[in-house]
Amino acid sequence: MIGARRPDDLRNALAHTIVGQQGVIEALLLALLSNGHILLEGPPGLAKTLACRSLAAALEGEFKRIQFTPDLLPSDIVGTRIFDQRESAFATVLGPIFANVVLADEINRAPAKVQSALLEAMQERQVTIGPQSYPLPDPFVVMATMNPLDSEGTYALPIAQMDRFLMKVNVGYPSRDEELQILDRFAVADTQPVRAVATLDDIRSWREQAHNVHIDEKLKRYIVDLVTITRNADRVAVRAPSGTSLRASELIDYGASPRATLALAFLARGRALLAGRDFALPDDVRAVAAHALRHRIGFNYRLTTEGTSADRVIEAMIAAIPAP
Amino acid sequence: MVKRTAAALALAAAAIVTAQRPVSAQALMRLAVQSFTLSSDSARPRVDEPFHLIVALRVRQRLDQVANLQLPMLADVELLGDERQTVSTPNGTQYRETITVVAHRVGAITFAPATLQAIDARDGKPKQWFTNGLTVYVSGVSAPALRQEAGLMLQRVAAALRLLLWALGVAAIVAVIVVVLRRRPRPIAVTVIPPEPPPPILARSRGEQFEDALTVLRAERTRASAVVVRTAIWRMLGAGDGETLGDVLRRPESADPVMRGLLIALERSAFTYDGDLRGAIEDACAALERSIGSAT
Repeated sequence: MIGARRPDDLRNALAHTIVGQQGVIEALLLALLSNGHILLEGPPGLAKTLACRSLAAALEGEFKRIQFTPDLLPSDIVGTRIFDQRESAFATVLGPIFANVVLADEINRAPAKVQSALLEAMQERQVTIGPQSYPLPDPFVVMATMNPLDSEGTYALPIAQMDRFLMKVNVGYPSRDEELQILDRFAVADTQPVRAVATLDDIRSWREQAHNVHIDEKLKRYIVDLVTITRNADRVAVRAPSGTSLRASELIDYGASPRATLALAFLARGRALLAGRDFALPDDVRAVAAHALRHRIGFNYRLTTEGTSADRVIEAMIAAIPAP
Repeated sequence: MVKRTAAALALAAAAIVTAQRPVSAQALMRLAVQSFTLSSDSARPRVDEPFHLIVALRVRQRLDQVANLQLPMLADVELLGDERQTVSTPNGTQYRETITVVAHRVGAITFAPATLQAIDARDGKPKQWFTNGLTVYVSGVSAPALRQEAGLMLQRVAAALRLLLWALGVAAIVAVIVVVLRRRPRPIAVTVIPPEPPPPILARSRGEQFEDALTVLRAERTRASAVVVRTAIWRMLGAGDGETLGDVLRRPESADPVMRGLLIALERSAFTYDGDLRGAIEDACAALERSIGSAT
């Protein structure tokens, strides 16, 4: 029997293995508490895969890793039906997606038809193989990684799939001190083993608690304002590195969907629970806003030509809405 | 008492709502303030008789409206109305807010200064201006009582007149008129008391502001009053619109553990679920008491 009773124990267990990357660890926990999927984007070597693997180990759940490649087929992920000659009948072989934590490594290396195979699994939490639908285990979390630097042999993720990720987290480089710590910690062994500190029942219980975290009416209006401003950002000014001032609406083709509104509420609730509160605060919403919005807004070519970034535009939009 | 405090709360809330436009610290108005005063149309109002408090602001810029102007809390009077007037000319803007109030007790009443937050157009720095404070002396006899007494006297005179008319007839009318004219009450000499010079401009101390907040929160243990008090305490620390608790806690003024405890308690009161609100407000009141003790 494992004695973890607080989500914070999970955070501490991960922090024991992963140096720094507190933001990534918190994001992984938020995805878990909010019953959502997470997309981690960052250069290679920043412990993205290690973080996902460690989380699965700390959960006592089933973990599967799928390395996405250009020749991957949908059946390689969800499973397939094969003909059993002895029985003279088709038998279903379930794919690696049937796990509690699925690491979709370098997800953008597979073509669109493989990405589409994930849509049903991520949204409906079931997979249809032939005439039969199979429910996925609970909890089920897809943790996908993506490398922004390597464009050769990669495919852009479809908008519909991007929207299905509860959050997208940009993974940054560690600080100098953290890098020294990494050197000390991993000089002898590859990785520190992670001990299991929570059961799947704990996760289900925490999710229930997160679901009951109170969000005040003022906060709900704040969340909706944050999402709707992405669709009509005329009054938001963004200063480009060249010094010119641009309207954010000039850089955006389409704004965030209502899924972003729900995602913000889920994540704010999760963050409040992580902080030991049963009510959410404006700080919770603001802390998760960029994670919930950055992959749901369609930026156009001007973002690149003006030399600015998606996060800078989102920052300006968040600053334009006064917190309650 | 509750009625008076409710009025004060309403005015404070109105002032905060007026100030809570979607502006950030960078979006404070840029103003060259020429004068900013608080006055009353009567230095010695009578009890239960309405009088006016006037907040006048003159700036060099042309404005349609004035933001971030906070009126003083009116704890000792009842609020009857509030009227704003903005006159813009090429030479600047004259803003005048007339607050109609009534006092229900005799004695001196002191009003704290009104405040204005803006960027000083002269040097480009964000500043807070204060009006003068104001003290009025409420006297005991109310005008309605005087009017009632005069009315009774007139009724008696009219009855006497009617009696005389019946008795003496038309010939005596002229004499009666003369009598009536003689008996008409003399006009009461009105002594005009020159207004007292305004006291020196003094900001209310932090302890007094905590006391005001505690009075408001104890009088109305609701989420709305908790939000009003939270906003007032944040403004006291110089926090602008749109900041979150995290921003305010990072301010150097929030380093004091007592102040941190107060800020966290008020945040809980503003956002917790209804079932926890009572306990949250109790905690906020206790935190305010600690802050008062700490400030003194």
